[in-house]
Parts: sequence; structure tokens; C-alpha cells
Amino acid sequence: MYRTAAKRLIVGVTSGINGIHRLRLPPPSTFLDHSSFSTATNSQEFPNSQIPNQHHIRQETPTSSDSASSSSSSWSTSTSGEETRSHENRRPRVEYQEEQARVLQAALSHVVKLGWTEAAMIAGARDIGMSPSIVGSFARKEAELVEFFMDDCLQRLIDLTEAGEGLKNLILRERIYKLVRARLEMQAPFISKWAQALSIQAQPANLATSFKQRAMLVDEIWHAAGGDASDIDWYVNRTILGGIYSATEIYMLTDSSPDFQDTWTFLDNRLKDAFDIKKTVQEAKYLAEAVGAGMGNSLQGFVGKLFQR
Amino acid sequence: MALRSVTRRIGSKFLPMFSSANLLHSHATSFGFKEVPEEEKSRLVGNVFSNVASNYDLMNDLMSGGLHRLWKDRLVSELNPFPGMKHLDVAGGTGDVAFRILDSISDVKRRAMQDVREDDLQEQTKIYVCDINPHMLNVGKKRAVEKGLGEEGSLIWVEGDAEALSFQDNSMDGYTIAFGIRNVTHIEKVLDEAYRVLRRGGRFLCLELSHVEAPVFKELYDYYSFSIIPAVGELVAGDRESYQYLVESIRRFPSQEKFASMIVDAGFQKVEYENLVGGVVAIHSGLKL
Repeated sequence: MYRTAAKRLIVGVTSGINGIHRLRLPPPSTFLDHSSFSTATNSQEFPNSQIPNQHHIRQETPTSSDSASSSSSSWSTSTSGEETRSHENRRPRVEYQEEQARVLQAALSHVVKLGWTEAAMIAGARDIGMSPSIVGSFARKEAELVEFFMDDCLQRLIDLTEAGEGLKNLILRERIYKLVRARLEMQAPFISKWAQALSIQAQPANLATSFKQRAMLVDEIWHAAGGDASDIDWYVNRTILGGIYSATEIYMLTDSSPDFQDTWTFLDNRLKDAFDIKKTVQEAKYLAEAVGAGMGNSLQGFVGKLFQR
Repeated sequence: MALRSVTRRIGSKFLPMFSSANLLHSHATSFGFKEVPEEEKSRLVGNVFSNVASNYDLMNDLMSGGLHRLWKDRLVSELNPFPGMKHLDVAGGTGDVAFRILDSISDVKRRAMQDVREDDLQEQTKIYVCDINPHMLNVGKKRAVEKGLGEEGSLIWVEGDAEALSFQDNSMDGYTIAFGIRNVTHIEKVLDEAYRVLRRGGRFLCLELSHVEAPVFKELYDYYSFSIIPAVGELVAGDRESYQYLVESIRRFPSQEKFASMIVDAGFQKVEYENLVGGVVAIHSGLKL
């Protein structure tokens, strides 16, 4: 966790896209929060010291829903501390971030049928016995559902790498291949609706978060694969990896081979290319292609969604 | 974006101010700028609304330049209604908000055709319009008939007091109060009742005339409120006092921040408010968990 937190700071500085008010970031899932909450409360200190703190508070809080707190001990931001304090004399309460996360989690099971939509969120809220009115409290509705999924996948990927299964004996390229594949396999169940998710991410209001989530993902993959260089290569490598990841993601959308075999071949080839050629020109071209394909496909998905109505 | 969020922090920050809020509601309460005994206020407010009921819509349009329609649209879009919703609209006698919610739900239904379950749910939609004043309710019922909603089973008109609702605990998905909470005697009681009737995940939304802070705009707005509105009221509705009360009661209503802290104190989470037209009106929202 400390490692990701530290890197996130660097992401904020280097990406430049969203570095202004997102410099100091709490653990991943806090994008779900209302932005003004996170800006208001994150300015105090760096997450390092918050994490043990938070657990401390959490134990004090009388929990009326164990399921919520167990599934999401790291969901709440530093607001939880303050909220608890000012209301310790009142009835036991659940933090709304946790409840929203539960709604989103439940909504995921409806995504395949209903898409990344408010309808899925409403159905999710019904599933956990919560009034669907809560959907109105999400400022960016379905975008927050997609972002929740992205954060969830990132968390799962981190857990996976920390478990460190079968990565040790491989060379760098193979480790990257495994990690990218593991991450992309997480969205395989949603592949029929993934174009829609990309189009939601590409909407102007959501772009900042999407870029950041992707930067964090690439960062995590690169780090977990063991790429430790901190010179200029570090930026270049990350950029290329980002390009390859996006390109593979787009390739996967139209891949109808069993278990996405073609996609994995494509990924492997791209990684080989990158490692073999190591020509900046070539790398820049990949990136341009990937970005172009990404934008085009998102747009296509968006237009498709419009006509679908 | 004028949207500002109020974290629960405010609860502690504004605790000292609660004492003054309580004073306001202890023995004497405000009726406009006048201090009146508590028992008197509801009768006086009742008179005001009985007097203005017939011209209510016309006056709203004149006073706000038609903007109140947009404000109510905004309120409903914040609410995000859905098919099968149980909603309580308090102080909504003329049905303005209720009709919008109903429209919005049938619109959502059209959009979400792929979900078959929604068809059955549509039948279960219930929108309760609660108003303490039967004259205002009559205006609403009449308008429902005019709109062709006279037979609409989703609309239920209830005469009732916002401070003591006749609905069961945890029975509502949504609660709105538009231009009403200013007129009640005990704001805290209304908020407590709202919290009581809402289900987990239910939302409280309040649209209310509020406080303008921007310097020049404030002077203009004050001039408009105190000089023009009562005059227009006299001219159109033949009732200067009622509209004098209206503008005075706006000034006596707690500021956005303070009202938000009162909502927090009633138990709501994710309390936020949004100023419209620089604070002429504000939409407060809270989430019950």
C-alpha cells in the first residue's frame, strides 16, 4: 500500500493532466467520493500516516453492517475520522462511501444485461435492500460505476502481485505479459459492454479520472513486473506499456477467438516488438496508434450507444 | 459550478450556532420580521397561503420571471426519480414538483425499455403530495385534472402537517420540500420527520429561497424583494401583507451553511447544497443510511 501511495504522488506530478488538485491521493477507491469531499479533506497529510489511524477509528465505530466494513475497510477516506468524531454521541452510522461502494458492487452483476447504466445501479441498490434513490447521490452516475470497476480491478491486481504467484522465475517481458493479461482477463466477462465503458471514460467530464486510473494501472504493472529504473527510461517505458495495454484492450473488443487467444498472441507480439526494437520512433508510433484507436473506438462506442436508443 | 459540499465537519464547526437557532424557535418564533408566539405562526402562515392560493402560480411566475419552473426541474433532476418509487412531496399542494417527478419517471421508463421488470414497477409508483393547507391541495387537484392526471393512481393527495407526518417509518424513497420549509414553525421537527419516513438509501431534497452574498447582486435583490414584490403582490393578488411576509421570511431563514448543518444534525449523510442564481434559491440534499 505505501508503495502505491508513494507512486501515486509521482503519477500526479508526472502525468501533468490531472496533477493540479489530485496531487495527494488517498487509496484508489476514493475517486468514488464526491470531488469536493476529497479535495477538502485530503489536504492534510500524506496517506502513510492515515492508514493505521483509519483502522483505529474503524474499530471504534459501532458497525451496524459488518458485511460492508469487511468488504471495504480501505474505502473510506480521512473524512471518516472527522465524521465519527462530530457524531459520536448520535446513533451508530455507516459511512455513505461504504454504502455507495456496496451499491456499485451489486450493480456490477447487472452490467452484462443492462450495461453501464443507471438502470444497473438501480437494480444493484434493490439487490442489497437499499432504496434506489441512493443512485441520485452519485454525482456522475454510470461513470462512477466504471471507475469503481477500474479501482476494483486494480486492487485485485495488486493483491495478485503481492501474492506473487509464479512471477519470480520469469523474465521481465513475460512478467509484464502475465500481468497485462491478468488485468485484461478481469474485464473479459464484461467484454460485450466494455466499449460502452470506454465511451463513458472518454467523456470530457470523466477523462481526468480515466487518465489517472490508467496511469496508476500501468504504473502498478510496471512496478510489479520489477522494472526499477528511475531515470528517463522509466517514463518512456511506462508510456510504451500504456500504449500496448490500450492497444490490446481495444484489440480484445473485437476478438472472437476462444478465450481471447488472438488477443494474447497480439499482446505477446507487441511486447516482443517493444523489447526487441527499442527504437523511440517505433515506440512513439505505437502510442499514437493506440491513442488513435482508443479515441476512435470510444467514439464509435458512444455513437453506437446513441443510435441504440 | 456553485455546488458546494458540506461535510459532517460542519456539524462540529457550527455547533455553537445551534444555540441561536434554538432561541429562534423557543417561545417566540418569527413571522417575517415580526416575533409571534409559536402557536400563532402556523395560523398566520395558513392565512397567507389561503389568501394567495388562487393566484399562486401567476405570482410565482411574475416574481421569479418564470425561473421557478427551472428550479423545480433542477430539483427533480437532482432527485433522479425511478419507476416504482415511493415519494413524498411535502408542502407541494399545487403539485408542481409531483407532476415533474411523474413526467420524469415515465421518461425514464421509455429510456430503459430493455429492463422488463420496470413495467410492473411503474404500477407501484406512488407520489404522495402532502400539504397542510387544503386550499393549496385543491389547486393541485384541479391542475391534475386539467393535465389529464385526474385518474392517475400514482398521485395521492394528503392533508397533513410536515412536523407530524402520518406516514410510517422507513416508507419513502424520496422526500422533497420546495419553498415550504421556510414557513414551518420548527425546522428541526420537519427534518426529523423527513429522516423518520425515509428508507435506507432514501434522499431528502429541499428547494428553498435562500441568501444572496454577492455584493452588488445582493443590493439589487434586496431592492427587488422589498420594493417590487410587495407592490406586485398588491397589484395582482390584492394582498400586500402576504408578499411582505414572503420576502421577510426569506431573510429569517437560516443561511445555506447553517441549514446544511441542521440537516446533518437530523442524521443525514452526504449533505450538500447547490446555489442557484447566486443563492436566490438553494437546493439542499441529504442521504439517509
